[in-house]
Amino acid sequence: MTALAHWDHQGLARPVRRTTLRMQAPHDDEALASAFASKERWAFEEAYRRFGALLYSTAYHVLGNAEDAQDAVHDALARVWRSPDSYERSRGAVRSFLAVCVRNEAITRLRSKQRRARLHERVAAEPQEHDELRIVDVVEHDRLRAAMQRLPEEQRKPLELAYFAQKTHVEIAQQLDIPLGTIKSRIALGLRKLSGALGGTR
Amino acid sequence: MSAHIGDDAALYALGALEPQEMTAVEAHAASCVACRRLLANAENDVATMLATQEQLEPPAALAERVFATLDPSEQPQRRATRPMWYTVLAAAVAIAVLPTAYVYRQNVAMHQAMLADADAMARVAANPHRSVAFAGRDARVMYAPDGSWYVVVIRGVHAPLHVMWPHDGEQTMLGTAVPHGDVALLYLPKSHRMDQLALVEGGRVVGQAQLVF
Repeated sequence: MTALAHWDHQGLARPVRRTTLRMQAPHDDEALASAFASKERWAFEEAYRRFGALLYSTAYHVLGNAEDAQDAVHDALARVWRSPDSYERSRGAVRSFLAVCVRNEAITRLRSKQRRARLHERVAAEPQEHDELRIVDVVEHDRLRAAMQRLPEEQRKPLELAYFAQKTHVEIAQQLDIPLGTIKSRIALGLRKLSGALGGTR
Repeated sequence: MSAHIGDDAALYALGALEPQEMTAVEAHAASCVACRRLLANAENDVATMLATQEQLEPPAALAERVFATLDPSEQPQRRATRPMWYTVLAAAVAIAVLPTAYVYRQNVAMHQAMLADADAMARVAANPHRSVAFAGRDARVMYAPDGSWYVVVIRGVHAPLHVMWPHDGEQTMLGTAVPHGDVALLYLPKSHRMDQLALVEGGRVVGQAQLVF
């Protein structure tokens, strides 16, 4: 958004009186998103300052170690920066866009790592145990666990496998022996319900 | 156009698609506003879940690595969103109007700022105006002699600056100048004369201008 559009957006025919202490919050997200979409350097730096902990934590919880997590955050942000049209305002909030970018980067790395591990003749049963461990991790997230528990099992189970075990929908369909289309719609419905229960806004 | 993404939006946001499916979703969303919104909603849902996880402080070295990636030479080229004649006209207006000192120092980022705020520049070009420099900051305000409009131009800026009107013991916020490249510009349509303006950064006044009518 240009400075002119920013002004018009506020609908201010006359100056609005605000104190210097209160003036930052209302428009900062909007200004950040517009500048981020225009690939302004300051917006990328500001986004990292604001959301760096969320991004790093997201990568760490998928990959389980600091070094890989840092690589995932760095590579995801670098790709967004170098890709001319990676983000537009209609794509939503910068925070959620970046969180999903980093998570997908981390999951891609994890799967690649798991493939390499299998090539090195790790036992086939290991991933199953790994999944269970990851699902137990949910104990740390009381709110998430409570909200998950309120979902019907047919939605909760595939959503858990996607979120905590980073399974693809094909793997989930195979594991639960349910058609692909059914799995997709159950995950989508479960995600919407869960976000609503957690107070997510659309 | 390929098929709409539907439930694949949720799977994309959860990382539950195969790589080629993710690429297909991204390609479709790039050209479909409705699906971009669908994707935005799904990403928002997943971000809500992610916010419940334990938050870890990232190592300081990661910030350095990330910021080092933001090399200006790797600044991407955006798609053209305006017709060529508009760009040429806007550039011509902007170049003709801005003070000489600014024009000499213009660069690609400066051009972007000019184009983005071509409406404000056209206003300056079409009307008689006065110009005053800010003390304390490389900035200038151009304004109508009757106070009906003001244009604030700030150079060497990398974060938004607030423009305030100090009067009667108060600070009235007029707007935020958002940088494009290293130039921030703010157009203020007003109906009254303001005899001074202040630039505020982080709650601190960093520049002041005295306007004469």
